[in-house]
Amino acid sequence: MHPQFLRRLAVAVGPEALLQDPTDLLTYEADALVHLRATPGAVVLPSTAEQVQAVVRLCHEAGVPFVARGHGTGLSGGALPVPDGVLIGLSRLNRILDVDTANLRVTVEPGVTNAEITRRVASDGCYYAPDPSSQIVCSIGGNIAENSGGAHCLKYGFTVHHVLGVEAILANGDRVHIGRSTLDPPGLDLLGVLVGSEGTLAIVTKATLRLLRRPERVVTLLAGFGSIDEAGGAVSRIIGNGIVPAAVEMMDRLTLEAAEAAVHPKFPDCNAVLIVELDGPRVEVDDLLPVVESVCRASGAVTVEVARDSEQRDRIWKGRKAAFAAMGRVSPNYYVQDGVVPRTRLSEVLGRIRDLEARSGLRIGNVFHAGDGNLHPLICYDESMQGQAERAEAVASEILQYCLDAGGSITGEHGVGADKKAFMSKMFSEADLEAMQLVRCAFDPDGLCNPGKVMPAPRLCGEVPGPYRRHPIEQAGLAERF
Amino acid sequence: MPAADQRSMDKVLERWGTAARLVDDPRGADCPPLVELEPGDARETAAMLEWAAAERVPLMPVGSGTKVSWGGTAGFHSIRLSTRRMNTPVQHFAGDLVATTPAGATLADVNALLARERQWLPLDPMYADRATIGGTVAANDSGPRRQRHGTSRDLILGIEIATAGGLVAHSGGRVVKNVAGYDLARLMCGSFGSLAVITSATFKLAPVPPASRTVVAEVGDAAHAQALALAIAAGPLAPSAVEVASPPARLLVRFETTERASLAQADAVLEAIGAEGMPAEIVSGADETAVWSRHARHLAAPGTLLKVAVLPTKAGAALEGAERAATTAAVECRVTGRAALGVIMVRLAGNADRHRKLAAAIRQAIDALDGTVTVLETPAGADENRWGPPGDSLQLLRAVKARFDPQGILAPGWGPGA
Repeated sequence: MHPQFLRRLAVAVGPEALLQDPTDLLTYEADALVHLRATPGAVVLPSTAEQVQAVVRLCHEAGVPFVARGHGTGLSGGALPVPDGVLIGLSRLNRILDVDTANLRVTVEPGVTNAEITRRVASDGCYYAPDPSSQIVCSIGGNIAENSGGAHCLKYGFTVHHVLGVEAILANGDRVHIGRSTLDPPGLDLLGVLVGSEGTLAIVTKATLRLLRRPERVVTLLAGFGSIDEAGGAVSRIIGNGIVPAAVEMMDRLTLEAAEAAVHPKFPDCNAVLIVELDGPRVEVDDLLPVVESVCRASGAVTVEVARDSEQRDRIWKGRKAAFAAMGRVSPNYYVQDGVVPRTRLSEVLGRIRDLEARSGLRIGNVFHAGDGNLHPLICYDESMQGQAERAEAVASEILQYCLDAGGSITGEHGVGADKKAFMSKMFSEADLEAMQLVRCAFDPDGLCNPGKVMPAPRLCGEVPGPYRRHPIEQAGLAERF
Repeated sequence: MPAADQRSMDKVLERWGTAARLVDDPRGADCPPLVELEPGDARETAAMLEWAAAERVPLMPVGSGTKVSWGGTAGFHSIRLSTRRMNTPVQHFAGDLVATTPAGATLADVNALLARERQWLPLDPMYADRATIGGTVAANDSGPRRQRHGTSRDLILGIEIATAGGLVAHSGGRVVKNVAGYDLARLMCGSFGSLAVITSATFKLAPVPPASRTVVAEVGDAAHAQALALAIAAGPLAPSAVEVASPPARLLVRFETTERASLAQADAVLEAIGAEGMPAEIVSGADETAVWSRHARHLAAPGTLLKVAVLPTKAGAALEGAERAATTAAVECRVTGRAALGVIMVRLAGNADRHRKLAAAIRQAIDALDGTVTVLETPAGADENRWGPPGDSLQLLRAVKARFDPQGILAPGWGPGA
């Protein structure tokens, strides 16, 4: 990076908040998708929105690309740095600015962790609904970028349903307010497209979020099945009975073994378990629970257990949420995918994955949000064995193709990022991508804000939208068109 | 009619022949007829838009036209593009609780079809008997059940649009969980046809609840009804609607769930209201249906319609402020509101010449509460300041509009700063 530019960055954020030493930069080379790495030109750690704005202004003036990063828990390489670009770490913007439980609102900075919000408002009987498995460490800014979901989004929706307004720094350095704490602000709903844009449209520096009140009753049911197919059948029948549970999760034998070894949730010894959670007013939950129980038994459940207390419920959820990390117990490396299929096609797609497992020689664990068809196949491999890492990646790609064949999506909650952008052209037509590019060009015509993510090929923003030209990054051989 | 309009209309009729026709201006017989383009599918819609962009022919996309006046002057362009012919087929994926529906299908028809599998698209916008799917999304309109189910923005999973650049583009999909690509579907919600024409949309559905009960309470005044509503919403109950209406001041709380749960929760509300010494009753079946149609009709009057949004705890003050201003102006004022959400619909009826000033006074009162006012319907001649101050994102709004519609042919005049 140009020394003068670096000096300006140091003035903008203070010298201690500018990292240039190669060993300091190492931490920021990758997010939780560790096999994609790049060294940024510099890392800045601003403490205020004004500092973020100052950094973005400098980048805009100098034509330097920048990437925002929350707590680095992303699984799609969304916070992968651009070589010679600036990485803007937002972990120091970590204040809860306003809590208004009477109106079910909270205003926070992007570096606040997801779970911290619920902790802060719990004494008022409130909580923040989106609950990604990484919620104790992931940041709200990252959640907004990825439109994070979680186990309970079946009933309560995703981050986009819970963000009411943001303050954001645009790629040209302008600070704007999009949405507000009241509903239905007049004009276009730019917030709807900003949430989930994976940091490619703007950097959020403040967000007003919606809280929920804790339901009167929560019950968690754990059912063990002889096969994934039987468990899947139970899910269809629960929904067919007009019941939308708060969460429906499924784990197969491999992931159950891993979870058991790691956190001892005392799951039943079987080939598949379903975790079904019902919540709401006491009478309603009491009415629906016996229906779910009998549906599970009728679908072939060998064990059905209802958590007796919150301790047992927490243990079940700990087992489920620890599933990814627990895979380390059964495999040196694993690759996780995030495809989605229509719920009614689950059984068929899981059958194809089983065939693939046999064919590839790699073990594939399945833990997924069964209620909404969001698969998380965990492809086990050993990177010390030659060719296994590549084979794992090929297997993951094939699974995504199965999801698309079934009318699903390449990503339910992890995002496209740098990881799956090549698949965008398989899921969307050229016209679809061109329309999406209109949004990108409106927000960031110079392509400086987290470039190289989401869209399959770098594109230029002309004054008037037209046919594509080769992007300078592409011409320079820094990126290729898929 | 301006000469430019006439030339554009002639061009449309000449180019599109049988796909265009003359229709009456809904504002009345003394207005000249409008030209309506009626594409049969998304491809044809895109071709018409591309042609209109090249010819610089401004037009307004419409569904059944129930909310076209909500666009202000934009709603009354001499040329419209109607989605009417794009009304089949509705694809119902019952096992997935999902449906894909063409934009021109009416919500009522779609729900009649989904009901066969005991499912529905749980939206209850204004003019729900005629409202189309495309129009409901474009207006992002909703009703009392927003309390439980949200608006079309909350339920939409995917969209197909035709753009002024001649594209037929999709975003999202037909699975309930999906973060691939930019979310154009939500961008279209409430965009009023100003960015593109919605040709089809996919939604998450809900099961039709087995039972429903509503508590109806006559309350002293609207602000008191609002206070009661907030107290109920803060409790453990899960109503599907919490509505205030005035005058006369009423509170409606609906529970749509299992038989036992609807009764138990309605009883709990009845008791809470009884403790305040207010008369209240629980209604179900035909009586309940009648109560809710009366509630929907409460706003049915010609005049000005405002949407007021404030924080829920300020809704009482907002109701008082609006009613007081109307009393001072001697204009009839009727309100209904999503009490626990802070969204209030205000109908001003009679003495139309005073509405503009009154709307401004109400806006001032709501500004002081840090809320927003959107003017949806006005009597002829009162058409200014529909949106209030545009805020610091105006340049960005304009940039988005310019990218989607560089020639500015779609719903020109709609939106803040347009």
